[in-house]
Amino acid sequence: MAGNNTARSTPGTEPDHDGRFAPGVGWLAGAALLLAPEAGALVGFLGSLLNVEFVVTVADAVPTLISRETIPNQGVQVPGEGWQGTFFGLSPAAAWALRVVVAYLYAAVWAVWLWRGYTLYRRHYRRRAWTPRDDVFRRFGRHRWGQFGLVIVALFLTLAVFAPALGPTTMERNVYDPYSYEVETYDADAGEVVTVSVGQANLESVSQGTPDRNVPPLAYDAFGRYHPFGTLPSGQDLFTTVAAGSRVSLFVGLLAITVSALVAVGLAMVSAYYGGVVDLLVVLVSDATQALPQLLVVILLSVVLSETWLAQLYSGGVLLALIFALTGWPSLWRAIRGPALQVAERDWVDAADSFGQQPQTTMRKHVLPYVAGYVMVYASMNFGGIVIGIAGLSFLGLGISPPTPEWGRIVDVGQPLLTTASWHVAVIPGLLVVLVVTGFNALGDGIRDAIDAETDLSDEEETSAAASGAGG
Amino acid sequence: MNRLTYLLRRLALSIPVVWLGTTATFAIVRLGPLNPAAAIVGPVNSAEARERLARINERLGLNDPLLEQYSEYMLNLITFDLGQSWVVYPGQDTVALLAAFGPRTLWLGAWAVLIPIFLGIPLGIYAGLHPNTRRDYAASIGGIVWRATPNFWLAVVLLAGLSLSNEFLPGGGWQTFLVETRLVGAPDLSALHTPEGFLTATKQVLPASFVLGSASMGNELRLSRTAVLEIITEDYIETAEAVGVSDRRIVFKHVLRNAAIPLIPVVTSEAYLLVGGSVLVEVVFGINGIGTLFFEAMTTGDLPLAGSLMFVFILITVGINVLQDLLYTVIDPRVGFEGR
Repeated sequence: MAGNNTARSTPGTEPDHDGRFAPGVGWLAGAALLLAPEAGALVGFLGSLLNVEFVVTVADAVPTLISRETIPNQGVQVPGEGWQGTFFGLSPAAAWALRVVVAYLYAAVWAVWLWRGYTLYRRHYRRRAWTPRDDVFRRFGRHRWGQFGLVIVALFLTLAVFAPALGPTTMERNVYDPYSYEVETYDADAGEVVTVSVGQANLESVSQGTPDRNVPPLAYDAFGRYHPFGTLPSGQDLFTTVAAGSRVSLFVGLLAITVSALVAVGLAMVSAYYGGVVDLLVVLVSDATQALPQLLVVILLSVVLSETWLAQLYSGGVLLALIFALTGWPSLWRAIRGPALQVAERDWVDAADSFGQQPQTTMRKHVLPYVAGYVMVYASMNFGGIVIGIAGLSFLGLGISPPTPEWGRIVDVGQPLLTTASWHVAVIPGLLVVLVVTGFNALGDGIRDAIDAETDLSDEEETSAAASGAGG
Repeated sequence: MNRLTYLLRRLALSIPVVWLGTTATFAIVRLGPLNPAAAIVGPVNSAEARERLARINERLGLNDPLLEQYSEYMLNLITFDLGQSWVVYPGQDTVALLAAFGPRTLWLGAWAVLIPIFLGIPLGIYAGLHPNTRRDYAASIGGIVWRATPNFWLAVVLLAGLSLSNEFLPGGGWQTFLVETRLVGAPDLSALHTPEGFLTATKQVLPASFVLGSASMGNELRLSRTAVLEIITEDYIETAEAVGVSDRRIVFKHVLRNAAIPLIPVVTSEAYLLVGGSVLVEVVFGINGIGTLFFEAMTTGDLPLAGSLMFVFILITVGINVLQDLLYTVIDPRVGFEGR
């Protein structure tokens, strides 16, 4: 990124670009430069998503900045020679930490670059000098609590996005197929480097409560493998599992929120535009949906649908997301119904109507933009609730099916060991849920205050909005 | 409109809600891909099982035309004929099961409503009376984090903490504190009328109720803080101060009374959260209440029982909603009956 600064015209000094070099081109070049070190991983991910074997093989051959090939953290410690095979001979802990730092730095640089892009757009390309959205950003810039939430959410997103590269080992190697992979270790008795299968090594690095059968957080096991969060009772690496689990939570949460937001916005537009009987009908349906206790319906549906093809997709994640969307839309809809009704009564909507615009166009162009902010607030807060819900269900043994990792199920696995030396198994994933949910709640608070400084939502709405632990 | 007609109207409005919710349950249980009779019988690999499947199909009326099934289902529920359990407690009447399991959940839920009221609201008022001090921040942030904590995890951690409590507490741990109780297990409600029995039963469910009420506690803390903050800036408080009313009197007479108005509907809406939340807490703490009954019915494929329980849950939630709207009008006379 540093090398690119010289090629880019400095925004702000000139009101417009100098004709030879558009600032947007410089920004795009910078973005491409930023993307380059991760392009291989991105293409590989898309390839595996679409199930194109060829693309994945090619993409794997492309060097990637944040990967265990570039910064390897697994090695052998030979007495007198230090660590062999790790990045520059660093200890596995330091190499792993370096990779994590690089990943987060990379994400931070992207965030800064995107923000630069937005300001660039504001200065050079946007026709209006000021829009109400600028005030939203300004107000958010003063909202410390909301920013705290944003930081937590960003940390969580980065963990989920870079999950395969952030773990000290991979799910494939460590959990799914441990007997097909090997780990090298120095055998002090034999005085030489020997290879052991990962499965065998796992069996000898379990966390089962007694001090001699426990690998606590920030510790090495007997095979020179570093475990930032310790190991599971089965000897698998907890951090790798937790990172992979964050992807599951993110995926299910995003899908559920997107579907329920689409339903809620669609219904809010329809009920606000037509009012009367249509509105009443939606009220009834949403009341009826809310009269069914959410957690119980989710349990009911996930059992009833457990044998269908839907439950096979993404280890039940897709089904779970749809169930949460089905039971969760009323709260979103309730939140935006009021604002949508208010805006629909404004003169400009009447004007657009009498102008002969289609109802869909009127709602999309003249009502939706005013409601979009509220959708974001409630989506952010509901996201936390869904994270709790998935964890709670998986804790009960429903929800995401093994071996796909899920935070709630890790808590379940670790529960019997909580009072022993292996307390970390149940404590760490639980703390992460608390942190992530608090972060999303705080972000929602921040956006709400930023959207509209004048009209606060009433306290009652506030409570129903933020995610609470009662959902799981 | 007087209160009675308001109540009647509110009840009339809740009928379609109950009807829709029950219909949805019917659709899930009867029309879903999981056949209730097949779920009860399990794998059909013998002539005997096949015969049993046919018999249960007949008993549940699964061979009848759909409309007939639906009308019979609804009619049964309306007359509170909730059928029987097939797998969990074979042959037992659902109503009898509710009578056996319900009291434990009620006992748990009652404390789960009370604990937050006696802990969350005073803390919130305290924070609101000392705004922007370090203690206020500690209470507020505590409340926010507290309500973001998943119940199941809190339950697990609390259970572990209590089982270790004899190590860091003087004079024995939680289990021997006051009266001897086990850490997990159902409370014995048969001796509630004696002080000793009451104490034992309360202590037995206290940790579970504490967890179940934790989210409510965070809410109530936050809301009572805002309520107090809003009221202490009102003119009439300043007036009262100016004419020399004592601080104590201001807090108890003028602040608390007005702060209670927004809080009471919150308390009832919390009661509604408890209905669903009790499943996880009951499972972790080993209390065999309605939540556990529902969970067992679901995991063993006892769909008829689960459907009937769902109907009871719908009635409870809708009932609480009506109650909440009524309380609103009783507590705050300014809230009109019109247009609500």
